[in-house]
Amino acid sequence: EKWAATRVKHPPTSLALQHFDATYNVQLGQLWPSVRCALLSERKYGALFNNFSQDAVLADLEAQGCRDFIRDMDTEGRRAPPVDTEHQQLPPLWLGPDIRCLVFPRGDITRFKPARPDTYGLLGYYLMDAASVLPCLALDVQEGHNVLDLCAAPGGKTLALLQTQSIGFFCVNDMSVSRTLRLRKVLHSYVPKQFLIEDKLRVTSFDGTKWGDIERNTFDRVLVDVPCTTDRHSVMEDDNNIFNKSRTAERRRLPQLQLELLMAGIEAACPGGEIVYSTCTLSQIQNVSVVEQAICLAQENHGIHLQVVDLQPLTHMFRKTFHFAPDLHIGEMVVPHLAANFGPIYMCKLRRLT
Amino acid sequence: TLQVTQHNQEVHHVSRRSAPELSLHSLADMGFSETQADCIYDAVSKIRGGSAARHALSALTALFVLGLNPSSVLKVLEKCPELYTVKESQLQQRTANLRKLGLVEGSLQRVVAHYPQILTVPVKTVKRAVLFLREKCLFTAQQVTDILRDSPATVVENMGQLEYKFQYVYFRMGVKQAEMVKSRLFRFTLDEVRQRHCFLERRGLYQTPDKNGQTIIINPKLDGILHVDQDTFLTQVAKASAEEYDVFKRLMAREWREEEQQSGGLEADSD
Ligand SMILES: C[S@@+](CC[C@H](N)C(=O)[O-])C[C@H]1O[C@@H](n2cnc3c(N)ncnc32)[C@H](O)[C@@H]1O
Repeated sequence: EKWAATRVKHPPTSLALQHFDATYNVQLGQLWPSVRCALLSERKYGALFNNFSQDAVLADLEAQGCRDFIRDMDTEGRRAPPVDTEHQQLPPLWLGPDIRCLVFPRGDITRFKPARPDTYGLLGYYLMDAASVLPCLALDVQEGHNVLDLCAAPGGKTLALLQTQSIGFFCVNDMSVSRTLRLRKVLHSYVPKQFLIEDKLRVTSFDGTKWGDIERNTFDRVLVDVPCTTDRHSVMEDDNNIFNKSRTAERRRLPQLQLELLMAGIEAACPGGEIVYSTCTLSQIQNVSVVEQAICLAQENHGIHLQVVDLQPLTHMFRKTFHFAPDLHIGEMVVPHLAANFGPIYMCKLRRLT
Repeated sequence: TLQVTQHNQEVHHVSRRSAPELSLHSLADMGFSETQADCIYDAVSKIRGGSAARHALSALTALFVLGLNPSSVLKVLEKCPELYTVKESQLQQRTANLRKLGLVEGSLQRVVAHYPQILTVPVKTVKRAVLFLREKCLFTAQQVTDILRDSPATVVENMGQLEYKFQYVYFRMGVKQAEMVKSRLFRFTLDEVRQRHCFLERRGLYQTPDKNGQTIIINPKLDGILHVDQDTFLTQVAKASAEEYDVFKRLMAREWREEEQQSGGLEADSD
């Protein structure tokens, strides 16, 4: 009786799994069983180190066996990967290492303890999927940049970007009011007040798809971290699950919403500016296809010419920590693996040439 | 029962022949070599209590009666020295009970050789286990005999654990009694079974059948999951790397430990 216990007939988690079995089996082929098993098993976290905190957490975490995956790059990664064009190399002033994210080594399943506040009440680290830091690194913020985070709540990536302390003006947006409140709370638990003043940082709750109507050709960097099927959540938690029957329409509309958000992000960027599109799904329709359509639409409807920036130099450096999907047509994707159970994270970087 | 009485008579007969003293000489008479006799003699003299020698004799004879030869008898006693201290009447009752449960000559001999502890288990305990297998798990009498023959240690397993294991395999894996017996399921612990099953399930290679016993994929057979070494399991069945399985096992161990702590806590609360 214990095993036959009354269960909901088709809980959203099983619907999600059915859906993924059907689509990812085709998309990932032989890789799918391994990714599936990782998705259904306990994930790994990374501790985004808070540069603003006064605590000696770093030494403490390192003593527990963690390492900052951003500094601990694959040494061979420094050697130029097989890319020839010089503008595709990392810029000399790469601020990535201002962001630190600690992880337990491959295969180590130790969990992080919750962070504790320091004497000023600021927390020492923020626990998030370590792979979520990659889109922030890919964004490659430079000193004085105007940056827009279009879908920012609950704020993990915002916080990672703030660690560089080099953003000129930071626009942080999320349409959901309640989630924006959470984001504000997060910011106040990690960042000193003087960095959160209005002329440096603005938190808004606009519909991101309309951003192009408000502010065009403005930002040096735009992060478009869209809502998606959040694959890991969808197979693990029945609460707030997008595969719930009642949310079918919303789920079907996701690729369209994603496209509109990316288009708004592209319009918000200035010519020469760079946009990073990211999701936490493996779905081709929500990843590569959205980017491809955006590139076309930008050209056709707005005369904006976009260039896809090769992220391989970046992913190459971190292949010790993450498993990347092979042969992606556009962009890069971290696929979950039991020994390095991060992701899924898809990211693609675009540069506005006009 | 006729057979059983005959055996009992035989036991008495043998006992009388070698009684009352346990001596190197009497051991040699029973067919033990000098070194074997020394071993037994040493082992018995280490056991405290006046009745040790007498019980030892009855144990030896009981084992001979099962048809074991001297070297197997010695091996059995080395595996389970406890047998030296079991009363003759108890040994008789226990073997008789096992025979009644269908373990006839050859099988009983093999079972005792393989798992001599079976003779230290009270008849009552064995009966309870058998009743459990028949009534709670709906195994047929023949299937119960097969279980006793293939996995005699089942009789001493914790009933709660046994029930959990049965239900797991029956409901979660959708395996029926006949296949459980055929694949000698009860040789494995619940953790061994569910470790492999969960791994396959999460990889999408095993499905719980629906009400009509249907699955979308073809599940591997229980036997093919359990009776292969880890390498074969990984390369042939799970098609996964040893690294993945290693991490998986550690994750599961932690998951189950935490589940147990939680449910343990709940039970304590409801008490
Ligand atoms: C994947 S989450 C962002 C996670 C966040 N970047 C982080 O790293 O913590 C997607 C967010 O998009 C927001 N969102 C959904 N539709 C939106 C829209 N039309 N405009 C702006 N934000 C939207 C949701 O409220 C949600 O918080």
